Amino acid sequence: MKRKKSPICMKVLPLTAFSFKYWKGARRITMFLLFMLMILCLTACWSQRELYKLAIVVGTALDVGDQPDTVKLTAQVVKASEMGVGSSFRGGGSGGKAYVNISRTDKSVLSLIREITHMQNRRMYFSHNKVIIFSSDLAKLDMAEGLDVFARDYEARLNVYILISRDEASEILEQEVELEKVPALNIFGMMENQNLNSETAIVTLRDFMIATLSGSTAPVAPIIELQESEGKSEVTLEGTAVFKQEKMIGKLDEAQTRGMLWVTNKARSGELIVDTQWGQVTLEFFHAKSRLKPVKTEDGTIRMKLTINEDGIIESNETTEDMSRIENVKMLKELMKLAIQSDIEDALEQARTLRADVFGFGEAIRRDYPEEWETMKEDWDHVFPKIELDIQVDVELRSTGGLTRPVVPGGAQ
Amino acid sequence: MKPQNGSISSKDLIFSVFCFMQATILRSGYIISMTRNDSWIMAVTGFIFSLPIVAIYAALLRKFPGKNLIEIDEIIFGPVLGKVVSVLYLFFFLSLAALNSWDLGIFVVNFMIPDTPISAVILISLIGCVYSIRKGIENLIYLSTFIFIVAVGSMAINTILVLKDVQLEYLKPFFRLEPMKYIQGTVSVTAVPMAEVLAFTMITPMLEKDQKAGKPLLIGLVLSAASMAIVMLRDIITLGPLVSIVTLPEFEAVRYISLAEPLTRMESIYAVVLIVLLLFKVTILLYAFALGFTHMLSREKQSLPNHHITSTSSGAGQPLSQKSYPPLTLVSAALVFFYSLFVFESVMENMDWGATAAPFFSLTFAFLLPAVSLLVASLRKIDRIREVKV
Repeated sequence: MKRKKSPICMKVLPLTAFSFKYWKGARRITMFLLFMLMILCLTACWSQRELYKLAIVVGTALDVGDQPDTVKLTAQVVKASEMGVGSSFRGGGSGGKAYVNISRTDKSVLSLIREITHMQNRRMYFSHNKVIIFSSDLAKLDMAEGLDVFARDYEARLNVYILISRDEASEILEQEVELEKVPALNIFGMMENQNLNSETAIVTLRDFMIATLSGSTAPVAPIIELQESEGKSEVTLEGTAVFKQEKMIGKLDEAQTRGMLWVTNKARSGELIVDTQWGQVTLEFFHAKSRLKPVKTEDGTIRMKLTINEDGIIESNETTEDMSRIENVKMLKELMKLAIQSDIEDALEQARTLRADVFGFGEAIRRDYPEEWETMKEDWDHVFPKIELDIQVDVELRSTGGLTRPVVPGGAQ
Repeated sequence: MKPQNGSISSKDLIFSVFCFMQATILRSGYIISMTRNDSWIMAVTGFIFSLPIVAIYAALLRKFPGKNLIEIDEIIFGPVLGKVVSVLYLFFFLSLAALNSWDLGIFVVNFMIPDTPISAVILISLIGCVYSIRKGIENLIYLSTFIFIVAVGSMAINTILVLKDVQLEYLKPFFRLEPMKYIQGTVSVTAVPMAEVLAFTMITPMLEKDQKAGKPLLIGLVLSAASMAIVMLRDIITLGPLVSIVTLPEFEAVRYISLAEPLTRMESIYAVVLIVLLLFKVTILLYAFALGFTHMLSREKQSLPNHHITSTSSGAGQPLSQKSYPPLTLVSAALVFFYSLFVFESVMENMDWGATAAPFFSLTFAFLLPAVSLLVASLRKIDRIREVKV
């Protein structure tokens, strides 16, 4: 759309030339003003957030406040200046901690977050929050508020890990570790690793909310606690907290947790120790997959059918027996099945005692037998303990690892 | 490569219809909150129910080749009644443009820059829309191929990356809601976004010669329905029961992506694509409005610019000279701007409107009026020959 200048017009009619020039100038000014307007508006200066004015929160702990009906929030904020220096916790830089814990008590979580502006020059920024730790005292009272705020706010994300601390949640965020500079990031790393042992329920805010919304499924969350060992205290993941109506009502131990993970198809890999007549053998399982399906029996009752498929290898053989012999492999497979079954039965027993459907039986029935579910759902707390579970485990023992026979004195002969 | 003389190919039209629809599909929470885990079926049933509507448009366009909606209805209803019907259509286009501008504004403000006034966002967006119309709508429609690739690409990437966290069981149990909900869902999908394709009847006269408009519109709708089903399926199996309580399921589903450390925060891609698509949609609606508005206010019943761009214009009283855009574009944009400022007070109002009034509003203009037009046209036996005489 290039406009051609007309030389005749310019010579003969100076006025036209003037207006043409004027027009051109006006166009330039308009364009300039437009660009200025865009620069002003499109850089989003209204909502600007400078990095040095943000307090980047990586972990949050919620405790019961010391006043009635109050909550105590502890936000772990990273100190970026201390993050990149040295390899040890206090190494390098100014030698300070790489984090600050900011605590405040108030009636609601959101007002707490705003309260903190009274004592900090930086604004809390929750987009990088990795873990939310509820103290078990708070969890036993009410989980609803914390969940709602963190799910509703656009800044926070649904894949933040939920944990329950046995004691004060803020203490967990104060527990320093050797390998990581920021306690919350240590806990986050631990949670990411839990697939390796299948002894901890890995629960994100999304999972917790989905279970809460279901009505029949009891939400669960891993328990984190401080344990004393050799004069030092360390944070450890230990068992699972079980919820009902947004309140913590009980817990599962490690074996029961694994049993629950088998049923909910969340066990991936881990190790099982089995006792043979010659001694102890450690087996590793991986590629684990389970499938839970409700089946209707002839008399109209509904049973749950669980099929588990997994592969295993012999991880360590502490006996003198050659475990690569086919009959021993068969025996090990049987023992592995029994170990898995006993974990599951253990978990089922505990869930029945708590009357808490941690396995999602109700959801499975609702999906496959919606009509039957209508009759059950009102009285689910009483129906659930009576639901029977049939377990079928298919184990393949794939290899004996790098050794076929154990290292025993004189084994070469 | 540049489209010649304002003509657009039917391929471009297909992609524009897709991009136009996709802007609403990426914000389809209002349907999911109604029909929950069965929402993806609504994409199919909604599409089926939109078939007769598209057939009406196709029939009208076939009866009056080379004419756009406003011209057609003035031929059918005559100069006086025709103007009244035109005003109704224009009100529909204006409302849609304002609603979508507001959607764009509120998305940007709520999710990205909360302190910025929504008016600033809408104003800047509309300036962009006016600019693209002044540069020729056919260029934008030509660009839709590119936008299509970006939109489908981002949808595919986001869907693949979230697959790790999905659970197919969330789709069950099938069809357990009250039948009324399904009817409501189907009508909603038919009305918003499917029937909004009406705006394209203002553009179809720009199609290359001997191209029928019905087929590209239909193919565009098929692609949109498929995309809608995929997006809804993805959201349902990612978010499970959460899908019906979050404000923007697409956004939340994409936010959940976390594949190793680097592949996360994918919602930025979603946000960019949504903004581009909404801009595209607003531009098309604004163009439809501006073109109709210009036509209505013009003194002589002459063909509108784009499809006769090469024809020499005659007389000073002819407002539609050789410009390839409707002269009233800027005024129309100003109308859209002010309308969009007071169209909704809050997101809650918007959701309530989407769930209750929107289908009826949309279907009145996008189904009832064209259906009556077609009926009157067949009763009055108006066809091409008489149309010349009018």
